[in-house]
Amino acid sequence: MLKYILKKLLMMIPMLLIISFIVYMGLRSTGVDPINFLVSPDVIAANPDNIEALRESLGLNDPLIVQYGRWLGDLLRGNLGYSLDGTPILQTVATRLPYTLELSAYAMLFSAVIGIGIGIISAIRQNGIVDYIGRVLAVLGQAVPQFLVGILLIWIFAIKLGWFPAANRVSPDATNAFVDAFMHLFLPVLTLTIGMVAVLMRYARNTMLDVLNSDYIKTARSKGIPEWKVYLKHGFRNAMKPVLVILMFRIPALIGGSVVIETVFSYPGIGITMTNAITSGDYPVVLVTTLIIAATMLICSFMVDVFNALLDPRVRLDG
Amino acid sequence: MSEAKTMSIKEQNKGAATSLMKKNIRKFLRNKLAVFGLVVVALMTIACVVAFIGGIDFRTPDMANMRAAPNSAHMFGTDTIGRDLLARVLVGGCYSIFIGVFCAVASNVLGAVLGAIAGYFGGKIDALLVRLSELFQAFPQLVLVMMLVAMLKTRGLGNLLLIFVITGWMTTFRMVRNEFMSLKGETYVKVCEAFGMSKSNVMFKQILPNVMTPIIVSTTTNVAYFILQEASLSFIGLGVADSTPTWGNILNAAKNLQVVQNQWWIWVFPGLAISLFVLAINFLGDGLRDVLDAKQQ
Repeated sequence: MLKYILKKLLMMIPMLLIISFIVYMGLRSTGVDPINFLVSPDVIAANPDNIEALRESLGLNDPLIVQYGRWLGDLLRGNLGYSLDGTPILQTVATRLPYTLELSAYAMLFSAVIGIGIGIISAIRQNGIVDYIGRVLAVLGQAVPQFLVGILLIWIFAIKLGWFPAANRVSPDATNAFVDAFMHLFLPVLTLTIGMVAVLMRYARNTMLDVLNSDYIKTARSKGIPEWKVYLKHGFRNAMKPVLVILMFRIPALIGGSVVIETVFSYPGIGITMTNAITSGDYPVVLVTTLIIAATMLICSFMVDVFNALLDPRVRLDG
Repeated sequence: MSEAKTMSIKEQNKGAATSLMKKNIRKFLRNKLAVFGLVVVALMTIACVVAFIGGIDFRTPDMANMRAAPNSAHMFGTDTIGRDLLARVLVGGCYSIFIGVFCAVASNVLGAVLGAIAGYFGGKIDALLVRLSELFQAFPQLVLVMMLVAMLKTRGLGNLLLIFVITGWMTTFRMVRNEFMSLKGETYVKVCEAFGMSKSNVMFKQILPNVMTPIIVSTTTNVAYFILQEASLSFIGLGVADSTPTWGNILNAAKNLQVVQNQWWIWVFPGLAISLFVLAINFLGDGLRDVLDAKQQ
């Protein structure tokens, strides 16, 4: 097992290298002058005459591949460079990445609980009222664009009812940090959760139905085990494995979704940072944010593999 | 003699095909949701295309009626600079539907061709293509699209189509590749090869028709997917340039909370148009899957 995990971990490294190489080369090919993001703007302003010397000393006249190697080295030492407006990128990332992780993690947690819950109830009471409503919601949830759901929620809960703020993550005059976080996170998390639940509950319902129709459930019933125990101990535990894997597979969609949702709610996460950087042509920031998202994705797919191997002994570990 | 015999077999096959076709059409018509989907998709497409060809005016601002609520002159109201929203939703629909259909068809063709090559030849070329598809899938698709938008700099319709096609082929690729891997061992493929049929002939004329069903279904549902993708991208301001109306571009106005609060018609109508169209496409795709899936027949 340990060997398997180690092997999967090692396989992530070449993948990250290739991605960083492509992203770096791609963005360099757009013709942005890297002196702007390697050196703090104050330094440039202080030495207008020495730019060419500076360029030489920084090695900007070296072949691209050498520059890439140096950039990567800086990155590994924690020097992410400067954004075009002069802020160190590390600082931006350090404040904004936690916000995005927080948003995605809550959405993931709630959609898992709600999606699996509704899925199981609709499987047990097939064609019942929960099943019916669930199916309608699943169809609608896949047709309405997620950002439109966000706008609708803002319109209802922030504008008409005034219960929640429509934007930002932190209020300047907040007295209780926890309540403040709850108020700001509620609507974006709800938006992301609705989208995820629509997909998850269908899977949960179908796998639960498969399990409930299998022979060992009949055996359990015929032994006289109480219904709730049949559902929970025999049905639920076996139905959840594929659902949990699907949950992991939805992480990319969740991260992609949160990029858009951050714009809807002006939520200061990594997604809106990337969006704004692209709009304003701030390439150093685009470079770093893209890499962070790719790395997050790789870590998630690594976790899917490990998780899968842990849950299902049939997965061949030497594969 | 032998000529006549093959003709008759061909004709028999033709006869069987038409009766299967009739059966399938009947089966499709019995599925109410699928028929609903087809009708809505057809009506909306016709309305948008007719408006577009008829040269409906979606550009000229009506200065006297900026941000006007729906009324008799402007059935859907006007947007923030006074352009007629009904015209914009219709013309925008034309662009959105075009983007959806074009990207779905092109990315599925690309995925099918690459999948056929990878699955049929196997070996190094297969390994290379699989690695490539994994690399593309290491990003959330939207982020990949955003990165390419950053690289291409200009936000034209052509660039958007290109980006969507090169980021959307992976699912079809995997499906077609797996089908080819299992089908290339079948006897009929071996027979064709033994007769000296060219490789491209075997791949595209003999094996590919057996994989068409899932490709058609995935193309249909991908239309909805790309329309939603375009809408998200345009909403965050990275889609097609503002001069070209699309459903997503019209919704871009709703980034402004003032608009969300005071001008509901600006985001409700394009939002309804997208949702209804995507819903109809999904119903249509599900219906097609039920009809075409050979395993169910």
